[in-house]
Amino acid sequence: MIRRIWVAYRLELSKALRMKLAYAGPILALLIVVSMTQVHPVFQDSRTGYSFIADATAVTLNLFGLLVVLMYSAMLLASEFNSGVIRTIAVRPILRREYVIAKMLHGMTYAVLLTAVVGGGSWGVALASGSLTGVTFGGELIYANSEMAYTYLLGAAMGLLPQFAAVAYAVMISTLSRSPGSAIGVTVALWFVVDLVKYPLRIAPFLFSTYIEYPWQPFLDRADGLEARWFPQGYYCIGTSVAAFILFTAVAVIVMNRRNLQR
Amino acid sequence: MPVCIQTANLTKCYGSVVAVSGLSLDIQMGEVVGLLGANGAGKSTTLYMLAGLAPPTSGTVSLFGKDICRNFLQIAPRMGVLTERPSFFDYLTARRNLMVLADLAGKEITVDRALDRVGLLQAAGRRVGTFSLGMRQRLGLAQALLTEPELLLLDEPTSGLDPESTQDILALLRRLSNEANVTIVFSSHMLHEVENLADRVAILNKGRLLAIEPTEKLLSWDLSRVELLVDAPDTVAKRLLEQTWITEATALSGRVEVVLNDATVHQLAGFLLGSGFVVSGIIPRRRTLQDYFIKVLNS
Repeated sequence: MIRRIWVAYRLELSKALRMKLAYAGPILALLIVVSMTQVHPVFQDSRTGYSFIADATAVTLNLFGLLVVLMYSAMLLASEFNSGVIRTIAVRPILRREYVIAKMLHGMTYAVLLTAVVGGGSWGVALASGSLTGVTFGGELIYANSEMAYTYLLGAAMGLLPQFAAVAYAVMISTLSRSPGSAIGVTVALWFVVDLVKYPLRIAPFLFSTYIEYPWQPFLDRADGLEARWFPQGYYCIGTSVAAFILFTAVAVIVMNRRNLQR
Repeated sequence: MPVCIQTANLTKCYGSVVAVSGLSLDIQMGEVVGLLGANGAGKSTTLYMLAGLAPPTSGTVSLFGKDICRNFLQIAPRMGVLTERPSFFDYLTARRNLMVLADLAGKEITVDRALDRVGLLQAAGRRVGTFSLGMRQRLGLAQALLTEPELLLLDEPTSGLDPESTQDILALLRRLSNEANVTIVFSSHMLHEVENLADRVAILNKGRLLAIEPTEKLLSWDLSRVELLVDAPDTVAKRLLEQTWITEATALSGRVEVVLNDATVHQLAGFLLGSGFVVSGIIPRRRTLQDYFIKVLNS
């Protein structure tokens, strides 16, 4: 099973490399990061540099990045249903659930790539325009640059979890759709509707989307010279994201297994 | 001969619409079976269920003695499937598309052989998005043949092909059946294609299997309908119509079409010679698949 998923995943990546659309997201994300210097200038001091990194990462990934990941993942299966390619694939010796998992891995890789591009871009911009020598308070070094980098990496790793859950959610919608347009429309619209009603309905604490911004909070705290706060939101972020990922993956697999590919 | 395909009471419903109803079929290894029927008869749905693409509402499909739903991974490498309007990744070349599919098959496959078989080797480096309908159809066949399958399930294999390509593809399928003992089940609207290729013909109507018969049996000589090549068609037709054992005699240019009623060709020949007519030929009519198809549908 792992071999077949690996082969399908590899093929997904090789197809993505040949698809121009796949490059649009990371390029735009990088442009957003660079253009963030206009609203958040970086001076020759560490504080504005770290503050820029935190803002640029959070804004780009949590708004633009999330939207791109949702749309990209929603297209993965729906475009194949729409074109009929799925029929050509589904008669090969690979189980449908394995193919769904390969698609999820594809979407997750895209999320990792976006995070890496945004992270690399924001650190690059901060390094190029300022100096990152650690966070100081009253002339005393509170957090060294290596500590800040470590906090950032932890934040990025944690930030990937809700993004992975978002990928699973979009792929699940994709298995239910017949065209990429409808898959993207439903995925994004449903996301915003849930975001609007989650507080009035008091379901926000149980949804992973509530904690999407949280992974960057410890880095932001440290950039401001404060103590990093990981608990309890960090744990909620991990718990709800993992639960949502499992749930959406299970639904996607069940739908795909039962789906009639003639239509 | 071992059974390649066995279906038992196979049924597929879409809501209240019954697409296939209680289909039970046995197809031997190496056999070529043509599925005939009008639009909506259930041909494609049957093929999709055989290929594991459409889950049956009830009933079972077993290929090579194994249930397709439970043993898909063992069965899939042994079958090639061509769906209606085959689709590919348009942004990849024909060769790259086949390489993707070959990788999924988990075998070392030379994709150029499959492309060569369907006459697409020259276009192997072209993006599929630039292909014509006929080229896509041939690429569809190439992907079906990719793993050298023992079973081919083909939904209208010559759809969109020009006459020359159609002949080439039919010849290729015939060769595969004769030389490699490949079992082929295909659907078609083209009766002459089915006549030329199929060992057996299955006629479906409104989801039901009306008949399944060897093609040879259906295409036997019809000795009750003959064509006479004569010098004076009008006179001959007139004389024949006076006979009680003749049902119909139609004079055409240089010939007369005759339908015998409880009489033999031998008797007819004797009558014509005895009457002094100059007859240069008596040609019995060969039954066509169309005759059988219409007869089955009407009954």
